[in-house]
Amino acid sequence: MTLLSVQNLTAGYGQARVLHGVDLTIEEGEAVVVLGANGAGKTTTMRALAGLIGFGGRVEFEGSPLAGLRPDAVVARGVSLVPQGRGTFPHLTVLENLHVGAALRRDKRGIKEDIERWCGVFPVLAERTGQAAGTLSGGEQQMLAVARALMSRPRLLLCDEPSLGLAPKIVAELFGILATINREQGVSLLLVEQNAELALALAGRVYLLEVGRVIASGTAAEFREDETVRRAYLGY
Amino acid sequence: MDIFLERLFDGVTNGAVYAIMALALVVVFRSTGTINFAQGEMALFTTYLAWWLTTVGLPIWAGALAAGATGFLLGAVVERTLIRPIRRRNDMASLIVALGLFTAFNALAGLLWNSETKPMPSLFPAGLEDFFPVAGARLYWDALGVWLVVLALIAGVFFLFNRTRLGLQMRAVADNAESAALSGVPTGRILMLGWGLAGIVGSLAGVLVTPLSATQLSLTTMFPILIYASAAALFGGLDSPVGAVVGGLAIGVLEALITGYVEFIGGTLPQTAALVVIVLILLFRPTGLFGTRQLERL
Ligand SMILES: Nc1ncnc2c1ncn2[C@@H]1O[C@H](COP(=O)(O)OP(=O)(O)O)[C@@H](O)[C@H]1O
Ligand SMILES: [Mg+2]
Repeated sequence: MTLLSVQNLTAGYGQARVLHGVDLTIEEGEAVVVLGANGAGKTTTMRALAGLIGFGGRVEFEGSPLAGLRPDAVVARGVSLVPQGRGTFPHLTVLENLHVGAALRRDKRGIKEDIERWCGVFPVLAERTGQAAGTLSGGEQQMLAVARALMSRPRLLLCDEPSLGLAPKIVAELFGILATINREQGVSLLLVEQNAELALALAGRVYLLEVGRVIASGTAAEFREDETVRRAYLGY
Repeated sequence: MDIFLERLFDGVTNGAVYAIMALALVVVFRSTGTINFAQGEMALFTTYLAWWLTTVGLPIWAGALAAGATGFLLGAVVERTLIRPIRRRNDMASLIVALGLFTAFNALAGLLWNSETKPMPSLFPAGLEDFFPVAGARLYWDALGVWLVVLALIAGVFFLFNRTRLGLQMRAVADNAESAALSGVPTGRILMLGWGLAGIVGSLAGVLVTPLSATQLSLTTMFPILIYASAAALFGGLDSPVGAVVGGLAIGVLEALITGYVEFIGGTLPQTAALVVIVLILLFRPTGLFGTRQLERL
């Protein structure tokens, strides 16, 4: 079943149009990656889907449109974004960050169980529940940002360049966790990356974005075979 | 000794009122990251309302309740209709709107109830004989009442911010509004509530302070209180309720002792001193004594 369907998505800032008609779909349970150079419009796509900026075109999640919804209403529908640059709450503790992530939920028991679950998945967080998020390292903050987004129990997790500025070892750990969450918790994943190698290992399908348009799409395996993609994004 | 104690009591009482007003500033700052310079004049307006209700026969506590409710509505409506539309543009605009509101509420109070000084009834027994002796000094009931209200308020504000969902969401919005929205927090409603709550707290400060004030209720009653409260909030840390109270008390006590013992200091010099304190704090310790966040915008 199609979870997210995006047709002819347009968006921009003021007069400047950035997205010129993006099409993509995500099937239930899939992990999909959007590759593209700096400035291609990856972040703009994610922000439009999350309700942070207005957009044109058709966007349907589980069969009903997302157009015109505010970010909190998008979260309520089951779509959660980990923004580029992490977007944690620096002055709140790790535990408080996780509680804010559950802002729309009323099930106290379930919230507590989820906090325990994500602290198990991200052990660095379990050791630092009382610490202000701003004092965490970049990698820890990224883990917290992902955990915070998962606290709303999304059906679709949007991740905008989670690898940015992190050491390779941390990135590998993070991607491993994202893969596990996708496989074992049934959370579908839309990942934006410049780090194609890691992204292709995680994702089943790939879209290639260039100046606000999808210029190629296919399975991760097809992409790894493709000469031009290899040269442009994998460097061999 | 007894005269010193009485001056100390006076200082603590005035300081308690500055602390309440500073708390209102802190509530707005913690939930929205903005200083509302119109807070004092909004409180002036609702205090006039409380006074007016007593002139038509209602008891002062009913007037105080009405002032609190009106303060909540005014705060919420101002946020929704004036602050929100311009917030996204730039922060200078919020400051200018606050200054405009400052003038508007003052003018409106003057228009409705003219500029004559009004005697303001107190929430507590306030006769010349309503005191009890403490170590040879007189502690008046109305002073003690103000102290108790401050204690209750700080407990309430602390509870709100640290023990409730709403409080956590307010802090989240102030910390990172975009991420709060991405977490499902209805940021607009939270900001509106924050301004509303500050409106209640400010109104309370107005109703408590005017009966104690030498000028009673007049169009200039709240301005010096806002100056002292701003100094207190900055001194204690704009995001720290405890800091606001400590700052308020410190300034109140200093003011009472200085004006009491230093003969040549007139009535308005302490305000100038408070302004100097504000500038010095902004220069040397922008997070205040207890705060963690500094003022990035007004
Ligand atoms: N807030 C903004 N205001 C104006 N232009 C922006 C803004 N954010 C991004 N852009 C422009 O939109 C284009 C796409 O940006 P973005 O979506 O962030 O790309 P990516 O995430 O793929 O690097 C770029 O040309 C960028 O300069
Ligand atoms: Mg980007």
